Amino acid sequence: MATRGRSIDSMYSIDSNNLIKCPICEATNVDKKRDNICRRCGSKIYHHRNNPTEKSWAFLITAIIFYIPANIYPMMIVDQFGEKFDSTIIGGVIELWDHGDYPISAIIFVASIFVPITKFLMIIYLLVSAKYPIGHDKRVNKFTIYYFTELIGPWSMVDVFVVGILAGLVHLSSVKIIAGTASTAFALSVFFTLLSAHTFDTKLIKENH
Amino acid sequence: MKIELDSEDDLDNYIICHKCHTIHRKIPIKNGSKALCSRCKMALYRKNDRLVEQGLALSIAGFVLFILANIFPLIKINILGTDSFITTISMIVSLLDSGYYIVSLFILYLIIIFPVMIFIIYISTFTLLKLKRGRVLTKELLILLGNIEPWHMSDIFLVSILVSIVKLFDMAKIYIGISFWALFAFVLINIYISRNIHIGELWILRKNIYYGNKREIDR
Repeated sequence: MATRGRSIDSMYSIDSNNLIKCPICEATNVDKKRDNICRRCGSKIYHHRNNPTEKSWAFLITAIIFYIPANIYPMMIVDQFGEKFDSTIIGGVIELWDHGDYPISAIIFVASIFVPITKFLMIIYLLVSAKYPIGHDKRVNKFTIYYFTELIGPWSMVDVFVVGILAGLVHLSSVKIIAGTASTAFALSVFFTLLSAHTFDTKLIKENH
Repeated sequence: MKIELDSEDDLDNYIICHKCHTIHRKIPIKNGSKALCSRCKMALYRKNDRLVEQGLALSIAGFVLFILANIFPLIKINILGTDSFITTISMIVSLLDSGYYIVSLFILYLIIIFPVMIFIIYISTFTLLKLKRGRVLTKELLILLGNIEPWHMSDIFLVSILVSIVKLFDMAKIYIGISFWALFAFVLINIYISRNIHIGELWILRKNIYYGNKREIDR
C-alpha cells in the first residue's frame, strides 16, 4: 500500500542495522552510506564527505577555549556604595556555600561547572570512540550518553540568565550589579557546546559497534 | 535482524528509540496509552484520537500565557526604599545598554523569539491539520519546528529567576510579579506538550490526514 509516488515496486529487505533516524523529523530512514536525504522531510542527514567528526571537534575546541576566560574573568560585579566586588563563577559558588545557601550553591555549581565539563568529556569520548576502537564492550550505551549530553546541555545557561536578571534588576544609586566579561565568554561556550553536540553524527556510534 | 519492506513508506511502521536507538516495530495500541521502549522504558509513541484538538487548545493557552509573561513585571524589589522591577524586555534592553550585545542577543532569541515561533508553529499546524488544508505549509512548519525546538529555554529561565530570587533574599525585599506566575504556567504547559506530543507523531498525523488512511480520520 504505497501512499506516495516514490515507492519501489518489488519487495526488498534491509538489515535493521542500516536504519538511521532523521534528526529533524525523527523519521526512520535507510542508510544509503552517502548523502542521505530524509524521505519524509527532505532535510540532509549529516552530510559530510571524508571528515565526519571535524565540524564537531571544531565547535568543541572553540567551546573549551571560551570556557577558559569564562572562569578567569568576573561573572558579576557588585558595586555597593562605590565599593566594587568581583566574583568569578567558582568565587560565586564558594561565596554562596559560605553564606549557607547550599541548594543554590549546588545548582550554580552543577549548571556552570559540572555540566559543561561533563559535556566536554562526553563529546570527547564520543568523538574519540568514533575513530578509535574504545568502548566496544557495550557496557555503556553510547546512544544513551549522547541523549544525556543533549538533555543536560542547555542547563548551563542558568548562570548567564541569572547575571542578566540581576544586572537588569539591581541598578540603584546605592547598589549596582553589573554583568562581567565572563558572561559573554560563558554564553558563547555554551552555544558552541550545543552546536558541537548537534553536529555530532549519531551514525558514527553505530559504525564502530 | 532483516526487515522486509514493500516500499520506503513502510519504514513509518518502525521507530527508533530516542534514548538508546533500539529499533522497534510499531504495534497498534489502545487510545490514550503509550508504547515504551523494551530496553530503556522510554516512551516511543502514543495513541490519542483527540491529539489535534488538545494540541490546539494547549498551544493557544500557552501562547496567551507567554504574552502575559512578557508584558508584566517578573519580579519587583525594594532596596532601602527604592523600587525596581524587571520584565524580560527590560532585562534585554539593560544588557544591551551596558554593551553585552552577544549575551542580550542570545537571551532575546532563547527566551522570546524561539518560544514565540514554536507556539505560533504549533497553533498554525494544529489549525491546518484540523481544517485538513495546507499540505505543503505544514511540512515547512514541521521542518522549522524540528530545527528550532532544541533552542527553547523558558524552563531554564524560570529556574534562573528562582536562583536570582534566593540570591537577592537578604539584600532586598522581593515581590513576585504576575509575569512570574504566567511564565510558570507557560513552562508547565510547555513541558506537558513536549512530553506528550513528539514531533514524529505530528508527522504521522499529517501523513494520515493528507495521504489517506481514511479509517483513522473518520473515527
